[in-house]
Amino acid sequence: MAEARQIGADGRLRSTAAAAGDEAPAAARPGRGTAHDRWFRYGTLLPAVVLLLMLTVYPTVNLLMMSVSTIDFVQGGQVWNFTPARNFGRLLNDHVFAIALKNTLIFVVVTVVAEMVLGFALALLVSGAPRAKGIVRTLMILPILVPPVAIGSMWKLMYNYDFGIFNQALAVFGAMPLGWLSDPRIALASVILVDIWHWTPFVFLILFAGVEGLPKEVLEAARVDGATTWQTIRKVIIPLMMPSIAVAFLFRTIFAFKVFDEVYLLTSGGPGTATEVVSLHLYKVFFEQNNLGYGALLSLVIIVAIVTFLATARRFAPEAR
Amino acid sequence: MRIGRFKRSLLSAAIFAVFAAVPAQAQDSFLDVGQQEPITILINSSPWYAGFEAVVGLYEEQTGNQVELDVTPFGGMLEKARNAVRGAQSPQDILNIDAAWTIEFYEGGFLKPLAEIEPSFELPENVYTCGDSYYWNEEKRWRTSEGGVLLAVPPNCNTHVLVYRKDLFDQAALSEPKTYEDVLQACETLQDEPRLYGFVTRGERGNGIRFDWMPFMLGYDASIVADPENGDYTVTINSPEAKQALDKFIEIMTTCGPDNIAAIGQADMIQLMAAGKVAMAQSVIAAWSNFQDPTKSAVAGKVAAAVNPAPEGKDPGVVMGNWHFAVPNNIPEARQKAALAFMKWFLTKEAQTAYAEAGGIPVRSDVLTELSSQPEYAWMKAYNESMQKAQQVLGYAEGAEVEQVIGLRLNQALIGEMSSAAALNAAAREIHAIFQRTGRNTGMLEPLPE
Repeated sequence: MAEARQIGADGRLRSTAAAAGDEAPAAARPGRGTAHDRWFRYGTLLPAVVLLLMLTVYPTVNLLMMSVSTIDFVQGGQVWNFTPARNFGRLLNDHVFAIALKNTLIFVVVTVVAEMVLGFALALLVSGAPRAKGIVRTLMILPILVPPVAIGSMWKLMYNYDFGIFNQALAVFGAMPLGWLSDPRIALASVILVDIWHWTPFVFLILFAGVEGLPKEVLEAARVDGATTWQTIRKVIIPLMMPSIAVAFLFRTIFAFKVFDEVYLLTSGGPGTATEVVSLHLYKVFFEQNNLGYGALLSLVIIVAIVTFLATARRFAPEAR
Repeated sequence: MRIGRFKRSLLSAAIFAVFAAVPAQAQDSFLDVGQQEPITILINSSPWYAGFEAVVGLYEEQTGNQVELDVTPFGGMLEKARNAVRGAQSPQDILNIDAAWTIEFYEGGFLKPLAEIEPSFELPENVYTCGDSYYWNEEKRWRTSEGGVLLAVPPNCNTHVLVYRKDLFDQAALSEPKTYEDVLQACETLQDEPRLYGFVTRGERGNGIRFDWMPFMLGYDASIVADPENGDYTVTINSPEAKQALDKFIEIMTTCGPDNIAAIGQADMIQLMAAGKVAMAQSVIAAWSNFQDPTKSAVAGKVAAAVNPAPEGKDPGVVMGNWHFAVPNNIPEARQKAALAFMKWFLTKEAQTAYAEAGGIPVRSDVLTELSSQPEYAWMKAYNESMQKAQQVLGYAEGAEVEQVIGLRLNQALIGEMSSAAALNAAAREIHAIFQRTGRNTGMLEPLPE
């Protein structure tokens, strides 16, 4: 029996076949077919499955094995020793990691909130200025195009204590120079500022596309009904844009959690531990100290944290409700 | 970055023309190493690179052998070297390895003992062994020529010197600083911040502050570990002498340096000196050409070099941060021979003289002694004297980890986040934990009163 659909009382589309208790013949069910069809389907899927295993499952299993091992290089070869207690014990006593985690959380919260607010505000502003759209969009995209190394060098020069433009500007007003990257009280804020400059355009682009795609008749209706601008934004635009907002939010949170280049290039985690973040600590352990086992454990912690965040965020995503 | 063939040929021709015009040097016969396979050298774009590039051009010109330079920033060198030796076949035939990384490569068995390429090969008599860091004694797990196998040769033996503004010192009738008290006195006389700072050296967290504090530490007769060469890994970094060294370091840095001293790295330090914003700098000798090049420096011809200052009544502390040319195990025999041929040529007196004339830092005592009598090479006297006193530190497998501990704690003390005693006590505890984990015979001193 063909599946029938009807509109429910709440206005949603529903299938009626299941409710009627009808059963479709086995051959007609989706996903079933002759043995030949099945072999063909599995055969064509096989390369993708193998690729998937190679690209994700094997590295993940390898990472898991590394995280419970100590890996040494002897006579040009690798020697693995199973030492889970040593690695986990080190994680629990790693005070720098604890500080890095705290700094990372501060970094994520501040940058993501600032970028979402600024990106959204810019998207609304630009959509209201039809003639400026093209030029603004082009200008806004520039920070995303600049390679991170160039961004690091550029901002490091601008933050330079003796020759940087910020302190030169302060001097014009008779103010004392600031240690933008050397004062532990403001170093993290300086790095956060660079990240906001770098990634707000990304949020803007996603949200701008969302704003441009809003149904004009709904906005018109709100205006006709006498809604103020703030009410329109809060009650109409934001709810309609939730999918775009969720995408931008998820991307930026994940990227911010993994921040590395800006911190590495500007401060290398200093002064003291003022700008130490999880990725940078992982880099130092893995690459500078050559502690592959413990480094793998730290990267596992990052993966678990991001997966936990994603699982949690999904519950609040509009599609899941 | 790869040097293009055309660019290299042009450079070689230019260098050849320069050397042809200097008969005193050009008439010396260079070592004939015969026809060799083309080789690739992994080389860092550090301040001494230009001199090395020039001498490689000369090698190609002299021998007809081809050398490709894989020029890499310092930050990427270790990864490239690791990838080279851990792969099936190394793309590079000579790896330039920093002193701090050598243990990993030596102990891992990744390098070809040079005597296995050519049984009669050993370091020429006048070539510095830079604290013996080119030899590896597997039994002792220590870099020493006593019972050690030669695994590398020096492209440079980097040490600190005190670079100072000779013009300002002469104007103020100040003599060359010999002690830290002299430094403080000169700083008091000359400092006019923010126009001119008295003294600067690296204070940034990590390798920078760790390496630049070492001369203070050694000068005050302090050490990180009691006697690692003989297996005694008792942690001594929280000794009263080490505290004196750290207190003096902080005093000079905070009194004479700019307010952002805790974030100053190598490039910042060079920039401050080259821009004429600092009267004295404790700098690695490799940076010298940056101060004397009129296209880069506002103080060219106005600076002089001296041996590092010492604490009153003590010898100066000089630490070595040298580089190592090594041949990976995983390349064919012909390429190993070609690599060694280049090394042999490079270490000859003629090549080393050419290296110095092109802005490099020679590793032969005879070249340094002879050239230092010429005014433009006067800095070599300070460098040569420093070489006699220079020491290796962190010559054990845990060195990289220990460096990070010290690099963080010193930086925290410099920014005032911790007292010097608390910083050294914390470093001692953490280093002790590292040695415990790796199974060394370790212990630690009583904590300093905080």
